[in-house]
Amino acid sequence: MKVWVDTHVPEFFRRKWVLVVGLLIVWFVIGRIFRGVHTLDLPNAQDTPTTAFLGDMAANIRAARAENPIFVYVFNPFRQGIESFIEVIRLTISEPASGGVIPLIGWFGVVALIGFIVFATSNWRTSLLSMVLILGCGILGMWTYSMDTLALTLGAVILSLAIALPIGIWAGLNDKVMAAVRPILDLAQITPTLVYLAPLALVFLIGVAAATIATMIYSIPIGIRITAHAIRSLHNGPIEAAESMGSTRWQKLTKVQLPMAKRTIILGVNQTTLAALSFVVIAALIGAPGLGEPIVRALSIRSIGDGVTAGIAVVLLAVILDRATTAAVVKSNQIPLTGQPLMIRRIGLIAAGIATIVAIMVSRQQLWAAVFPDALNFNDAIGGGADSFTEWFTTTFYFFTTTFNETFTIYILNPIEYLLADSPWYLTVIMISVLAAIIGGRTVAILSAVLLLLIVWIGLWNDTMITLTQVLMATAVVMLIGVVLGVAAGRSEKVERALKPFLDAGQTLPAFVYLVPVLALFGPTRFAAIVCGVFYAAPVVVRIVADGVRGVPKEMVEAAIASGSSTTQVVTKVQLPASKKSLLLGANQGLIFVLAVVVIGGLVGAGGLGYLVLQGASKPELQGKGLAAGLAIVLLGIVMDRIAHSSAKRS
Amino acid sequence: MRRNLTKRMAALPLLAVAALVLAGCGDSVNDAASETATTDETTASETATEEAAETIACGDVVIAMHGWVGYTASAQVVSEVAKNALGCNVEQTQLEEAGVTYDAMEAGSIDVIVEDWGGGRWQEWVDRGAIQEVGPNGNIGLIGMYVPQWMADENPDILDGTKLNDYADLFKTPETGDKGAWYEGPPGYTTIGEKIIEAYGLNYKVVSTGSEAALIELFTQATENKTAALGYFYEPQNFLAQVPLARVNFPASDWTAPEDASGLTDYPESPLIKLATAELMASGSPFATLLTNFSWTNADQNAVAADIEGGMTPEEAAQKWIDANTETVNGWLAGTGASIS
Repeated sequence: MKVWVDTHVPEFFRRKWVLVVGLLIVWFVIGRIFRGVHTLDLPNAQDTPTTAFLGDMAANIRAARAENPIFVYVFNPFRQGIESFIEVIRLTISEPASGGVIPLIGWFGVVALIGFIVFATSNWRTSLLSMVLILGCGILGMWTYSMDTLALTLGAVILSLAIALPIGIWAGLNDKVMAAVRPILDLAQITPTLVYLAPLALVFLIGVAAATIATMIYSIPIGIRITAHAIRSLHNGPIEAAESMGSTRWQKLTKVQLPMAKRTIILGVNQTTLAALSFVVIAALIGAPGLGEPIVRALSIRSIGDGVTAGIAVVLLAVILDRATTAAVVKSNQIPLTGQPLMIRRIGLIAAGIATIVAIMVSRQQLWAAVFPDALNFNDAIGGGADSFTEWFTTTFYFFTTTFNETFTIYILNPIEYLLADSPWYLTVIMISVLAAIIGGRTVAILSAVLLLLIVWIGLWNDTMITLTQVLMATAVVMLIGVVLGVAAGRSEKVERALKPFLDAGQTLPAFVYLVPVLALFGPTRFAAIVCGVFYAAPVVVRIVADGVRGVPKEMVEAAIASGSSTTQVVTKVQLPASKKSLLLGANQGLIFVLAVVVIGGLVGAGGLGYLVLQGASKPELQGKGLAAGLAIVLLGIVMDRIAHSSAKRS
Repeated sequence: MRRNLTKRMAALPLLAVAALVLAGCGDSVNDAASETATTDETTASETATEEAAETIACGDVVIAMHGWVGYTASAQVVSEVAKNALGCNVEQTQLEEAGVTYDAMEAGSIDVIVEDWGGGRWQEWVDRGAIQEVGPNGNIGLIGMYVPQWMADENPDILDGTKLNDYADLFKTPETGDKGAWYEGPPGYTTIGEKIIEAYGLNYKVVSTGSEAALIELFTQATENKTAALGYFYEPQNFLAQVPLARVNFPASDWTAPEDASGLTDYPESPLIKLATAELMASGSPFATLLTNFSWTNADQNAVAADIEGGMTPEEAAQKWIDANTETVNGWLAGTGASIS
């Protein structure tokens, strides 16, 4: 504050919120007067020098793919190598070899194998749950799609971990390495999934390999970050003890640090796996086989039923992968079995192993165990149910959904879009930078101004502001929900327990899954994209806020109650102010999560940068514009992240 | 704990070895399947001509699937014929059209597009030797801007595109503020809406819809609730037979590639094109012959699409059409030695 406001100014005008409100009023008034002037609105099919440059570059890369030595000797063999690796897994569980009807293992064998692996790494309860859920994928009529998704996810996770774990450990041990990879990790965290697709497709084309590589690039940073964190956050005591006993560095690492960090590292495996799953689904846009396909189809042709059943199958897979890895974490914390329990478990493992082998044999030889039986396939019933429910819901609540949608659009969404996108561009750049200065300080303000000018230079200013409007709207709603539910959950364990399954499900659900039902309910509008963003980001924010509220010292709350404060007063005067940091952190996470989904909204008519990315994928002549839009999304993400981050830091 | 872990780890390779051993021993469902396949082929070749004996087995074919019902109809009919008459192992992959799919063809993950509207966007891939044009598929595509029939009945003038400004007020929506809404096609489609609006100074704003489904929803609701709608649509599309729409016309067209469109003229009628990888076409596969011969009319496509929309699976709808049109299908199969009855 000191930087910006002279000390002679009365106290009132030095308050942050007064400044912010004043600024918004000024912005609104000037923006209104100059509405539509210098908005840099660019016709869809028109290039700017920068997008044209990127377009030429893309054309050159496309032309080079067949002959350029880098492609011939590096990229293309790499692509084929990855493809063969994934193909082996697919031939085992999902894809029949040429001329066959089943893969190496039929569905019955796959169910048994999954049960056995989960049993071996965690416990029989999780194993049973996994088998039931994987059967559920078949019952939904999504067996082959689910197996494809599983194959791709597992393949990508194995390859990702092979890279992420060593680098993560190295970065955990060595500060220089950490400093080198940190900016990349930060950037990866901000970059929405959609942005990865186009540039990777340019180099690795479209198909299984491109999808796997894109998935790896998305999930590797997550693995590295958590692994490095696991090593770095260890207590020094045992390590120093090992050092004093003369252990070599290798001994220290393998005997002390890794075993101690194991729990967190497995958590990293968990996060990497879920990230890979969610990416594999959206990678259907670049030719990944699996559950993303029916979802993409549902978004373009009217087949809500298939989209919904595929979405549920994704959820089931997510729950299996999540439970199995979490159970492994829990197990790694338990005291190892000895004596009789150990004997029982060993016998159980051997019996399960034999049963699995038998099941695999049967699944190769008996038709009923090889091809998922039609009698168990309830796709028509479930999909049809989803169809008629949507039909009923949209006709019954047509008035409600449309009115709500239109009111929100006219009175909230449009005015803010006018403010951001229809004001002269320099006004918006100045206003955002000044806001950044008030909220986060001078450094962030300068950074914001520079990055925003970069977006102007790229030439996609207007589309960026349309996207920003949707992101801000969705984040505002997310924060509202986050504060209400977060405070409730933070104050009462009952509420928390009731919310937990929803939060768990919300956090494991890939963003892509939300699009189908929301499109069905709200039609192709910006509002639909905003609703998707809200659904996707709310669980995370609720969690963070609840954590913050729970972290407020009990004495503070008790003191307030003792001095006669009402519940409202306790919440507004004590608990919320005391958990301000969590609120700001929640806002930061909310923004990034919302951005990831809002750009996918281009698929359901939300326009903006996401639309340009998708358009660039289809129309070669506009590919440069698509790549530029991806770049603009990343720049916008950095601006929002830095502003939110610095405000959290300053508090 | 470590002992326990080692024990567990030991079990996994054990299982893997066992599985591999099992994989080695034959007698799987697949063997039975390939036996039946071989018998089928023998019967087929018995009835076939001499040349047929020399034809190459069809093997795997991957057909791109695009997001409109008419495409599904064409692709499914080709798939069923290829599967049942030629014994091809047909796979279908859902992808956005044009660029994405051409790249997939270059990578070898897609072999065929049965209906491309791209108007020559593929040329670059043809030049690189990745893709080959296989000629028109018989369907004639016509894009245009449409309004629900009731609007045309009440305002005959509205079908004259140059007079659209008189009606802009009718089309105002919350999405477009004080301008009329011009609902445009999805990201991959050929669209020149902005050019038309600019060329005629129309008081409309382009709204992107994202999908065919959204356009269908738009016109269905506009017809049912008698609300206004101006949107992108196209033939062949059996929806036009279910919900009456009227085409808004602009002066006749003078362009083929969207880049050359002035905006003053309308979308042209264009023959829709089949594309395949150069590799497939050079392989001598009977599927290449089938694809080259495949051709049908807009009415044919609409009939199959109508059955799919009516609730049949694409497989059933395609088979129904094939059964009713054996002569046409046998014409496509000429030169492969196979036929259906």
